[in-house]
Amino acid sequence: MSDSALLSLIIFLPTIGAIGLMFFNKQSEGLMRTFAHAITLATFALTLLAWSKFEPAKFDAEHPMQMYVKIPWISSWNVNYQLGVDGISMPLVVLTSFISWLAMLASTSVTKQIRGYLILYLILETGMLGVFLALDFFLFYVFWEVMLLPMYFLIGVWGGPRKEYAAIKFFLYTLFGGVLMFIALLMFYFDSAGSSFKKTFDILQLAAIGQGRDPNGVQFSQFVQYTAFVLLFIGFAIKVPVWPFHTWLPDAHVEAPTPISMILAGVLLKMGGYGIIRVAFPICPLGAYWAAHALVILGVISIIYGAFAALAQTDFKRLVAYSSVSHMGYVLLGIAVWKLSEGTLEQNTTFWNMGLNAAMFQMLAHGISSPGMFFMVGVIYDRVHHRDLNQFGGLMGLMPVYGGLAIGIFFAGMGLPGLCGFWGEAWSVVSSWNYSPLYSIIAASGVILTAGYILWAVQRVYLGAEYKGPHAEAITPITEREIFIGGALLLFCIVLGVAPGWMFSQMRASIDLLVKSISSTKGLSEIVKQIEAAKQVSGL
Amino acid sequence: MSMNATQLGHTLGTLLTLAWLLPLAGFAVEIFGGFWGSRKSKLAAYLAVACIGGAFLLSLSALLLWGTSTEWSALKRSHHEAAPVPTESAEHAAPAAGHEAEPAHPKPETGPVYPKYFSGTIYVLAEFRSLRFAIDYYVDSLTLTMFVMVSLIASLIHLFAIGYMSDELTDDHEDHEVHTSHGHLHRPGRFYRFFAFLSLFSFSMLGLVLAGNLFMVFIFWELVGVCSYFLIGFYVERKSASTAANKAFIMNRVGDFGFLIGLMIVLTYFGTFQFAKRDEFDPAKRVTVSRPGLFDMLRDEHGAIKISEQGDTVFLNARENVESDVPGAIPPTKTIPYSLLLTAGLGVFAGCVGKSAQFPLQTWLPDAMEGPTPVSALVHSATMVAAGVYLAGRFYPMFVPEVLLTIAYVGCITLFLAATIAIVATDIKRVLAYSTISQLGYMMLGIGVGGWAAGLFHLITHAFFKSLMFLASGSVIYGCHHVQEMPQMGGLRKKMPITAYTMLVGVIAIAGLAIPGIGAFSGYHSKDAIVATALTYAELNRTHFLLFYVPLVGAGITAFYMFRLWFYTFAGEPRDHHVYDHAHESPWVMTVPLVVLAFFAAFCAWNGEEGKLFKMLSASEPAGVAEGLAVDISGLALPSHEAIHHNHNLAGGYALLIAIIGTATAYLFYGARLFDPADVKKQLAGLHTFLVEKWWFDEIYEVMFVRPAHVVAKWCAAFDRIVFDGFLHFMARLAVLVSKWDRVFDEQVVDGFVNRLADVTFDAGRIFGFLQTGRLRQYVMFIVVGVVGIWVLVQFFAKM
Repeated sequence: MSDSALLSLIIFLPTIGAIGLMFFNKQSEGLMRTFAHAITLATFALTLLAWSKFEPAKFDAEHPMQMYVKIPWISSWNVNYQLGVDGISMPLVVLTSFISWLAMLASTSVTKQIRGYLILYLILETGMLGVFLALDFFLFYVFWEVMLLPMYFLIGVWGGPRKEYAAIKFFLYTLFGGVLMFIALLMFYFDSAGSSFKKTFDILQLAAIGQGRDPNGVQFSQFVQYTAFVLLFIGFAIKVPVWPFHTWLPDAHVEAPTPISMILAGVLLKMGGYGIIRVAFPICPLGAYWAAHALVILGVISIIYGAFAALAQTDFKRLVAYSSVSHMGYVLLGIAVWKLSEGTLEQNTTFWNMGLNAAMFQMLAHGISSPGMFFMVGVIYDRVHHRDLNQFGGLMGLMPVYGGLAIGIFFAGMGLPGLCGFWGEAWSVVSSWNYSPLYSIIAASGVILTAGYILWAVQRVYLGAEYKGPHAEAITPITEREIFIGGALLLFCIVLGVAPGWMFSQMRASIDLLVKSISSTKGLSEIVKQIEAAKQVSGL
Repeated sequence: MSMNATQLGHTLGTLLTLAWLLPLAGFAVEIFGGFWGSRKSKLAAYLAVACIGGAFLLSLSALLLWGTSTEWSALKRSHHEAAPVPTESAEHAAPAAGHEAEPAHPKPETGPVYPKYFSGTIYVLAEFRSLRFAIDYYVDSLTLTMFVMVSLIASLIHLFAIGYMSDELTDDHEDHEVHTSHGHLHRPGRFYRFFAFLSLFSFSMLGLVLAGNLFMVFIFWELVGVCSYFLIGFYVERKSASTAANKAFIMNRVGDFGFLIGLMIVLTYFGTFQFAKRDEFDPAKRVTVSRPGLFDMLRDEHGAIKISEQGDTVFLNARENVESDVPGAIPPTKTIPYSLLLTAGLGVFAGCVGKSAQFPLQTWLPDAMEGPTPVSALVHSATMVAAGVYLAGRFYPMFVPEVLLTIAYVGCITLFLAATIAIVATDIKRVLAYSTISQLGYMMLGIGVGGWAAGLFHLITHAFFKSLMFLASGSVIYGCHHVQEMPQMGGLRKKMPITAYTMLVGVIAIAGLAIPGIGAFSGYHSKDAIVATALTYAELNRTHFLLFYVPLVGAGITAFYMFRLWFYTFAGEPRDHHVYDHAHESPWVMTVPLVVLAFFAAFCAWNGEEGKLFKMLSASEPAGVAEGLAVDISGLALPSHEAIHHNHNLAGGYALLIAIIGTATAYLFYGARLFDPADVKKQLAGLHTFLVEKWWFDEIYEVMFVRPAHVVAKWCAAFDRIVFDGFLHFMARLAVLVSKWDRVFDEQVVDGFVNRLADVTFDAGRIFGFLQTGRLRQYVMFIVVGVVGIWVLVQFFAKM
């Protein structure tokens, strides 16, 4: 199989599975589940195959992508079917298929209208994989929207008591972001007319134009970059979610069934961060540099605000949802700590490089630990059918294995060294001092709050002498299937926690390339000067 | 010995790495003890003891190897001489050494010259351009001493715990302190889990000691923290235990927040976390690269810092890592603002404050006594809480005099505050906990006033006598069936003589009693070293005289409360006969560790500053400490060893006198029972309450931090609900409203117009329908009228 076909197969295998599900007898639910499970597992295996062919060190300016494919799709508009992976997308692709597989395993708690559920689930997976693999902005946008509708129905049909509200909130938020992204997309398309690429949607070409590397000398103007960056950023920030665009998240999580929460937390949020790194920064570097300060502030606010809000929750799942807001704040912080001073543009990017690495790592770590936390909430919810933190207690004694797994995963979320959450958090915060000591101190204070809400939750749920809530008789030991899912997630928390260097080595070359190309953007020094001057005037 | 420095470094690194990893392997097996063993099996404990015992043997052999290789040169030097400065020839003595740098002791005789420390990388975590994060080892005499001390004490405590925790060896353990709706709680025993956590703790602690860079210290810092959390909260069913565990972890995180700030500054300005310089062979490029470390970047070989004339910038011995456009151009020297260097030091020290339970973060340690007593002995007195002092010592070269002054004052306040509370505490473990805080204060004070070796000396001696006393208290608690209140004890020396007299050794050691001219137990020597340094410091810096008087008074209080404890528990007549009658001496697994520890508590510091332990430690003393520091830009001076030596006898005399007074007072009140402490309590009721309530720190923190945090949290949650969602809902309602108007407009206006038009058309049709009569003549007439009409009109318009 050629490498290029492999990526297409990865994307469309779930769709093929979804079509296949239509031919099943509606009554044979077990068979359909097995089939869908096999499809997600096969997709995971394919991504692993792709990873084994992936050569992390072989990236340079001439070869920014591997397994690259570009086929005309809508020629009249110069839209191409264009795919490829680099060190930034490869780990996220594997994460997506991995979480999709585990969440499929966790889907036994979903019992109504199985066929519809499975079909939508598989279409959702296609959308997610497509977003991470697409290199044509139009195609990217199509996948982005493809993912939206299945998610809407998965929350709206299979969700909890307020499912319609949560689903429509999620839908409108994301659609709003999508529209902003679409405007930016059209701006790029028409503005690239004079370049050597003609009008294009190609993300790599658009990035070249944005960075002033176009042979015809065409570069997106400062105005276009500023505007487009803001549009794109809001679009992606909603997905991350960044304060103040985050309020869809707690509702969506609380109402979504457990496996869908796992996918939301594990994969969907990462699309926001990925979009910022893949699209917004490379195409609008001038806008990105101009807005970096605001991004850092938003990142820091997300960290602290999310942690405080988590501390106040009494719903277990809502607490985990707010912890996502807090943890994804570190991602934004790491991405945004881009600071240059005049004259040393390229040389002075070590800490930004570190921040980007930390942000990517934090996305992966959160992509493992957060689904784990949601799954752990789901395990107990399936038994006692409530999530009130004040009505738990003593679960460590009643379900010791479950308690052990849960404490491991929650501690990974708390950022304990040796588990995955630590590196991303610690290094994104450490890298931010160079940008601004003040923000970095505020961000660092998050470690206290995080310990506070996690430990307090652990105490109320798992520790204590006896269970205080309803349905005490329903508390049964954790099943083998649940141990497998929780154990797999905890195992990866430990692997990433003990050997972070292995993951960084996958990303290093691509991130170096990204930092180098963005930092050598034409006209950047002018922006640096302007911002320095503005700072002096305002006395900051 | 023929081994060259490179080989020696490698071997030491390997031995200690193995010693460090062995308990981790133990943990990985023991934590699953519930699956492979029965609840009644002691196998997990034996495994844990084997692992930590193995670690001890490995550490000991590393120490012996180091000693024989260097022909114990470290022990031959007198402490009072100024540390020799490495000479040129020594610099070049080990150029090919793959791992180490900076030879410290040029020896007159020929033969290999060994460096002061050996350092290397075990494992690289990540590299971002020039920034490198790794698991490094850093081995000097301090590391070796700490390794031997930690693994020895840990082994003994593991052994002790086999006896102490034996009531967990059951399928049905009844926890008398937990009341559920069905009476006392019954649960399966968790013997294996306790030993698993002890193993994990040993691994983390040894990792912390082994660390060759600041970031690695931070990693293991957090890990010992979480082990402490698990061990304090071992009785997860007890609310008080889980709350104490949370408190310990969160208060430590407050300190770690400061630590993190220190890390950020260090990395941003120094570009590395590595402690000291080392040469490393790069196999890819086939060259030896010299990686500078923090200490040698900041200080020259005499321990001096290069400060700009204005005093606001510090020049580092390194170049900026920038690629210049001009080939061959020398990149600028790295600098760091003095204020940030100060902040970095304070930040790292904040971490030490949290870990070592110093003022103002001291309140977690007494609550940590909720954990089983072996935990209190190992984690919360001998090792983990001393890690703060260890780091303060390790990181000493990075501290500017202002930071040292802060350290001294924090230690000074802590030692006094904790000592006063210890006077009124009645829970035997809490007295020891406050005593621990107080002694840690002494160590911090010692380091802060420039007594680097004195502070660490006290760390080692304290580890022995305090773990001894905790284990003895554990033996008392075990023997008295979990009674911890001293007012229910008394006269126990008859029932448990080994416990009582080993405890007495510890009490004498900590109180600092000595017979002049003959000898003294360990605590006297180390406390004496601290007090002598403090006296010299106070002489040099007159405004800071309290730094001498407070520890002096503290020494008296220490002797008082420790003897109070001993008399209360073991002397006189029993106060509660029920407790007394059931009391018994502990089994040999518990008393043997007591005896061994008593031996070390008595004799580990034999001969004081001329003894082996002290010399061993001072071999690692940073450059420049011995010479002291004349008043510099900070306006502070640090004492030299010579000056301290001068004051030694004087300070020792004062300290001994005060200790004897304290001891005598305790004897009068609690031993001879000549005075009734209740009278004093009545007369000083206000003060007594103040002390019993621990200076109201918990209450103040509750009001100042905990409750506000919850309030802010509620605000944030409410903000989401009311403001953000409120806005969204408003927009949604607006949209609905607009669409309603739209509907009204459509239905009334647009539809109305169309309907109207339709009506009109219809009506017109109906009206015109009347004309359709079907009569031909009528139609002809209409046509004629029409034609005529049109003609008239045409004519009319044509004329216009």
